[in-house]
Amino acid sequence: MMSPAALTRRIAPVLACVGLLAVWQVASLALKNDSFPTAIEAIRAIPDILGDKEALINILASLRRMAIGFGVAVIFSIPLGLLMGRSRAVAAFFNPLLMIIYPVPKAALMPIIMLWLGVGDITKTLVIFLGVSLPVIYHSFEGAKAVEEKMLWSGAAMGLSPLQRLVRIVLPAALPEILTGCRTGLVLALITMITSEMIARQSGAGNILFNALDMGQYDTVFAMIIIVGAMGICLDALFERVRARLVRWSEPQFDIPLSFS
Amino acid sequence: MKVLPSRSNEWVRSVTPQKPASAIIEIDRVSQVFQTSARKEHLALSEISLTIEEGAFVSILGPSGCGKSTLLYIVGGFVNPTSGAAKIKGQAITGPGPDRGPVFQEFALFPWKTVLGNVMYGPRQQGVRAAEAEAQSRALIEMVGLKGYENFYPKELSGGMKQRVALARTLAYHPEVLLMDEPFGALDAHTRTRLQNDLLNIWERDRKTVLFVTHSVDEAVFLSDKVVMMSKSPGRIRHVIDIDLPRPRRRNELLLDPRYQKYVVDIERMFDESDEFGSPS
Ligand SMILES: Nc1ncnc2c1ncn2[C@@H]1O[C@H](COP(=O)(O)OP(=O)(O)OP(=O)(O)O)[C@@H](O)[C@H]1O
Ligand SMILES: [Mg+2]
Repeated sequence: MMSPAALTRRIAPVLACVGLLAVWQVASLALKNDSFPTAIEAIRAIPDILGDKEALINILASLRRMAIGFGVAVIFSIPLGLLMGRSRAVAAFFNPLLMIIYPVPKAALMPIIMLWLGVGDITKTLVIFLGVSLPVIYHSFEGAKAVEEKMLWSGAAMGLSPLQRLVRIVLPAALPEILTGCRTGLVLALITMITSEMIARQSGAGNILFNALDMGQYDTVFAMIIIVGAMGICLDALFERVRARLVRWSEPQFDIPLSFS
Repeated sequence: MKVLPSRSNEWVRSVTPQKPASAIIEIDRVSQVFQTSARKEHLALSEISLTIEEGAFVSILGPSGCGKSTLLYIVGGFVNPTSGAAKIKGQAITGPGPDRGPVFQEFALFPWKTVLGNVMYGPRQQGVRAAEAEAQSRALIEMVGLKGYENFYPKELSGGMKQRVALARTLAYHPEVLLMDEPFGALDAHTRTRLQNDLLNIWERDRKTVLFVTHSVDEAVFLSDKVVMMSKSPGRIRHVIDIDLPRPRRRNELLLDPRYQKYVVDIERMFDESDEFGSPS
């Protein structure tokens, strides 16, 4: 049996979703605009998309690029961020570089990257990589900087070398912060994935969406928005579970869940 | 005021006369300058010389900011002195090592490790096999009174319990010298007394050399063979007082002992004086 509080916590997000769909339905019926299908029409279009083999292949290709871009970015960014956080020299070298890249919308770099690398997978994956890297580097950096010096000294007294301290003390100590960065990175990966496909119109979930838009199939457009949104929510919830499990040692108990986990 | 031997170098005599005392730590004219801003320098320690004999319990006492922690960090090898040198067993100290085990006031436990994980960390790093390290660590955890808490994370412990874990974690890798920086400073009076007793019991069992920073006079007298009194701005050694009280020490007996009381009163007076030496520079 769930406690009433736990039950409320489970039901609240579902109610929020249903409420949103209801508002959509009513608004769409009231506006009677061709380019604004009702929620029910949009939901009806979902099985058509997911049943279509080509659409499915496209969506899976998108997800694959996203996974590779995200994975490579995380593997690259965590060590870099940690090193920057613990070494003034490394930070002094990379900080100005990142300051320049930071405010640039990564999608704005796409035309140039397309020029060099074409419109294929590499370009899109690279853009996702860039989008994910910055928040992960930033949070790893902040996390590493905040590691209590006495903790490192304790490790040094036990005989840990500088590299061992980085891997076995700085990394776990900064993990909560790093994972916060990864969570932001994951959402950004989804956003840059769609944006990249919008610019390099060749394949992918974004391509389906914008093709439908060009052809005036508005129920498909909205259905795609729901699919992409649902993917985002699921990925985020999944990640949140993994995260909560990894850093249980640091977490105060949340009263309000920050996701649908 | 010269009730007790003070401010001299002749104190370098044995405090445990029953066994031949040999110096384990030698601090030779150590000074530490901190760059506080682009043009300002702060002399935190000035020409500190001190010899600590093997197996002695030595307390460093002094007003806040007189450089007690800094001195401890220098012995630990965490901070390099601006001038002068510190030696352990005749070897110059160039960095941290498992022969000197720090216990910090901030605990500095590894929050992602359980109590057992924290205590096992040192022995595992030293290459002790997992099963053996675990058995030793469990025994140590029991010794510091935390049996049953092996699988708790630091966030689930009270301040006093964390301090016990920190002590056990350091004892676990058998350092020859314990460096304790106000380990009981943040604790309530009751917990503090209990931990002092526990520390004395542990120490009287295996007589490790202890360098113990505190600003509590009672604590210093109760625990130590020798009290080193510092003054600030710049940090200097003002007095070195041998505490000639019998061991094993029992708190309830000691509090009633006139000799103990006299040490406390005299040292408190010196403390007030040494506080007056300090003027903001
Ligand atoms: N990293 C540092 N940079 C600049 N100044 C420092 C640094 N560390 C210590 N100091 C200064 O050196 C002096 C001695 O500091 P220290 O921490 O050793 O004092 P303390 O005797 O341990 O004081 P407390 O009893 O309050 O812990 C202080 O005036 C402090 O401001
Ligand atoms: Mg201090």
